[in-house]
Amino acid sequence: MHIPDGFLTLSVIIPTFIITIVFWAISIKKVKLSEQQIPMMGLLTALFFAAMMMNYPIIGGTTAHLLGGAAIGLILGPFAGCISVSIILVLQAFLFGDGGLTALGANVLNMGVIGVFVPCIIFLVANKALKIKTTTALFATIFISAFFGDLLAAISAGTELGLSTPLFGYGLSVAVPAMAINHSIIGVAEGIVTVILIGTLFKLRPDVLEKSPILGKLAMLKDKVTGSA
Amino acid sequence: MTTKNQKTLIVGITVAIIFVILGVFCFSYAMETLDVKAEELGAQEQPVYEPPLPDYVIPGMDNEGGALLLGVTSTLLLFVVGFGVAKILGKKKS
Repeated sequence: MHIPDGFLTLSVIIPTFIITIVFWAISIKKVKLSEQQIPMMGLLTALFFAAMMMNYPIIGGTTAHLLGGAAIGLILGPFAGCISVSIILVLQAFLFGDGGLTALGANVLNMGVIGVFVPCIIFLVANKALKIKTTTALFATIFISAFFGDLLAAISAGTELGLSTPLFGYGLSVAVPAMAINHSIIGVAEGIVTVILIGTLFKLRPDVLEKSPILGKLAMLKDKVTGSA
Repeated sequence: MTTKNQKTLIVGITVAIIFVILGVFCFSYAMETLDVKAEELGAQEQPVYEPPLPDYVIPGMDNEGGALLLGVTSTLLLFVVGFGVAKILGKKKS
């Protein structure tokens, strides 16, 4: 989903950079990390950089990779999540040319802002409405949050490309559905991986999740941590 | 750092390295929707910068061994950078 140099017009590059810089500033100002979360941020940054190296075949001979934003955001919170995914994207662009420098604002907006904040918001709203009490409901909510994080990130990328005619010749009517349909498949994989990762931490390291500004709001997690203490 | 955290880090980094191995040997072929659409249009990338390791390849080592070495090294680098940034941000608040 990394947009390279040469595909976006200035009218898309400038606003996406502005939005990204605003989110970076807010994230740096608002981020709070506990002692346990500091090494976890290093670990999740490395883990999802590595996960992005795997390209899964989807449809029509195309491939896609995981984004990781949902898992990182739900575990560390959206502000640390935004910073963590941004570290991955900045290093990928500068070291490997994976994603263009002129498209860095758009790529961070799609994967580091939308891909992180959307799953966190969906999870918080669902938890508030449903008062999640069972692991089935928890995992279903995590899956849906991750799926829509990927889907909206892809729709955002499609919109940026669709608005960049004539550089990227397809308009919104082609770019958005193409990105959305293909990336909804990787959204399913993102949902499954996010459920497996958080499910494992829920079982083995609930103390790490308890510090999360998102998952830490789960009443069932507080009960589990209190019970295992 | 607690023993629990150390164990989690060791397991996590091991899983990350397994991802790199799978990425190099099993899931290396990349043809994203964006690439396909760009190809259909004849749209060309116009890089504004020459990265030191273009397309995850060490210059002169364009093989799976080079990709594996680069993947593992980069994963460890990302861990160090992520940890370092988290440490700075964590201190800022304390």
